[in-house]
Amino acid sequence: MRHRAAFLQRWEGLLVVLLAVTVVYNALNAPGYMTLGNWINLFQLSIEKIIVALIMTFIIINAEIDLSVASVMGLSACTAGFLYANGTPMEWAVVAALLVGVAAGLFNSFWIGVVGLPSLVVTLSGLIGYRGLAYVLLEDRSIGGFPQWFNRLGQQPLLGPFPLALIIFFVLLVFAIIILQYSGFGRYVYVIGNNREVARYSGVHVRRTKMILFVTSSTIAALAGILYAARLGAVRGDMAMGFELDIITMVLLGGVSIFGGSGSMWGVLLSVLIILNLRNGMGLANLSGHVQTGVIGVLLILSVLVPNVAGTIQAALKRYRAQRMETGSA
Amino acid sequence: MRKKTTLLMTLLIILSMLIAACGPAATPTPTPVPPTPTPAPQPTEAPTEAAPAEAPAEEATPTEEPAEEAAPAGEVVKATPGQAVKMILMPKFLGILVFDQANQGAQEAHAELGNPEPLQFLGPTPENSVAGQIEILTNAVTQGIQAIMISNNAGDQIAPAAKAAREAGMTVVTWDSPIPSAEGEQVFVAQVDFDETGKVMADMARNILGEDGGKFAVLSASPDAANQNAWIAALQRVLEQPEYANLELVDIVYGNDQSEDSYNQALALVDKYPDLELIMAPTTVGIAAAAKAMQDEGLCDTVKVSGLGLPAEMLEFTLNGCAPQFALWSFKDLGYLTYYVTYLLATGALQGVEGETFEAGRMGVYTIEKDPTREAGLRVLMGPFTIYDASNVEEAAK
Repeated sequence: MRHRAAFLQRWEGLLVVLLAVTVVYNALNAPGYMTLGNWINLFQLSIEKIIVALIMTFIIINAEIDLSVASVMGLSACTAGFLYANGTPMEWAVVAALLVGVAAGLFNSFWIGVVGLPSLVVTLSGLIGYRGLAYVLLEDRSIGGFPQWFNRLGQQPLLGPFPLALIIFFVLLVFAIIILQYSGFGRYVYVIGNNREVARYSGVHVRRTKMILFVTSSTIAALAGILYAARLGAVRGDMAMGFELDIITMVLLGGVSIFGGSGSMWGVLLSVLIILNLRNGMGLANLSGHVQTGVIGVLLILSVLVPNVAGTIQAALKRYRAQRMETGSA
Repeated sequence: MRKKTTLLMTLLIILSMLIAACGPAATPTPTPVPPTPTPAPQPTEAPTEAAPAEAPAEEATPTEEPAEEAAPAGEVVKATPGQAVKMILMPKFLGILVFDQANQGAQEAHAELGNPEPLQFLGPTPENSVAGQIEILTNAVTQGIQAIMISNNAGDQIAPAAKAAREAGMTVVTWDSPIPSAEGEQVFVAQVDFDETGKVMADMARNILGEDGGKFAVLSASPDAANQNAWIAALQRVLEQPEYANLELVDIVYGNDQSEDSYNQALALVDKYPDLELIMAPTTVGIAAAAKAMQDEGLCDTVKVSGLGLPAEMLEFTLNGCAPQFALWSFKDLGYLTYYVTYLLATGALQGVEGETFEAGRMGVYTIEKDPTREAGLRVLMGPFTIYDASNVEEAAK
């Protein structure tokens, strides 16, 4: 256990170095990078993804996965747009969109928590099903023309230079760190992720914990969907399509094991900062989208490879030393 | 010992990531290098039928002083070469031939006008088109880009970012596909009149289906492409006229400008409507995919394909009869004209108001007019169409 903790510290240390390299490189090479406006843009352009990445961290540490988040984002945004276009006041349309998120979460957690199906299968169906519903609602249309106050929430600064979504992200981040790293619930999440059976026999409410996580996940995704609608000022059926992979990438690069049980919110925060800064720097350096995707891909491969390779090398070294000691004493 | 190896590992990883992160940007110069400019214009390829008829007979007297102020009404504005404007040409996404052709045209105009700043051709990846376009536009403001030319694939979702760019003083021109609400956009450079597109498609359908008419379906790109939707709407209006009464439009499907999607949609159409005689695809990706699908299934005798296509991609299908007739305009000219409009706006020679007339290099004189296809917005109309069939497709495909 201590071995793993030491390793985690090293991984996060590596992320810090990587972040520092990215920031310094961008600062030297990308004109306009070191401005407050650009830093806010850099968060704003991916703000909905990084909000959802916070709850995705809990879910993956818990040895589950939620592939339906992006579809829930799209469905909630389309619900709000659909209701508004049909005469509902925007306030109520937003509330309804959040409730859609809660409902999707309850649906997911019923099959995962109560029936006991694997989350991969359930949320994969969610990914397809919720997206389908979004298309059913809006068909081929795009709905815009939302009230000024709604668009302003997504597009204008709210507090000083900071827009609403950015403030929401930082508030949720603080909560996420406290809950995951310093609360009993957070410990349950780790324990279940490490070994579900052991957790169950130790009296941890496995089912309840999972259900709470999946309902929260969909609710936050719905909130992110509404924020996305406000930022773009228009909604359509394909909104947020494919975001789930970007979100999962952020979490895995943060050192969270896809098998659950290990990782931390700090690592995910670092990985989010790295990805955003990397994308921003590459964008400002006019690198094409294909190159950007490639670089992020290489990073992800390394994030999976490095711990494994390091572990293998360490084990081999230990064996080698033990062998030498044996032959030396003989 | 262990410490040393881990240190070594860490160093190695950082090094490799550094290479990964910085490798492609091998030229860390503050101002980026333009992507392979093609300064040599190929006069053999330039179709000159594009000069519109409304070109005034008397050539406007050449003004010597730089056109810093707006020209008086009725005067033809000319570009002052050599002014520095940082510009970006943004396609819907990368990897589509027609957008590369538009870039060629824009680069030609760029070289012609001697703009000392680079002209960037930047676009998102297909799967990230909407978010990617918004990201490039937002980053352009940070980079201090002065003008951007957008083939919009994000519908009205790009409007907030475009408005922000306008507020930051950037010139925003759309081409190929406009911002539907026209918010944040100064002028839209339209390839052809949307109504004319409808008429051309209806005429081709009538030519192919013959006097007795028949059933046909439309295979479009994405449901949100403003240009596609306007063309289809125009087609439907034309079909209401009595002389087109025996043409029956049975369905409209979407292949999202992806070859495989379009291919499958074309096959699905044939399954769904056994008596279908024609697939009309107003997208270059769709028409090629549909023709390929009909050819692969051996259906070319019963189901024909038509629409808007690229001669180079359609050559085979036109000669073997799968797609006997199709139409298109020159994307190279579109890029060229768009560059001129944008340069004139960014240098202040044009104000971007209705009625302004200007000269766009080799293509002649154009006028900014109200866009009749949208509720708001201005446009510059390029026009006209070329119809391709077995008689002229080989020449154009070269």
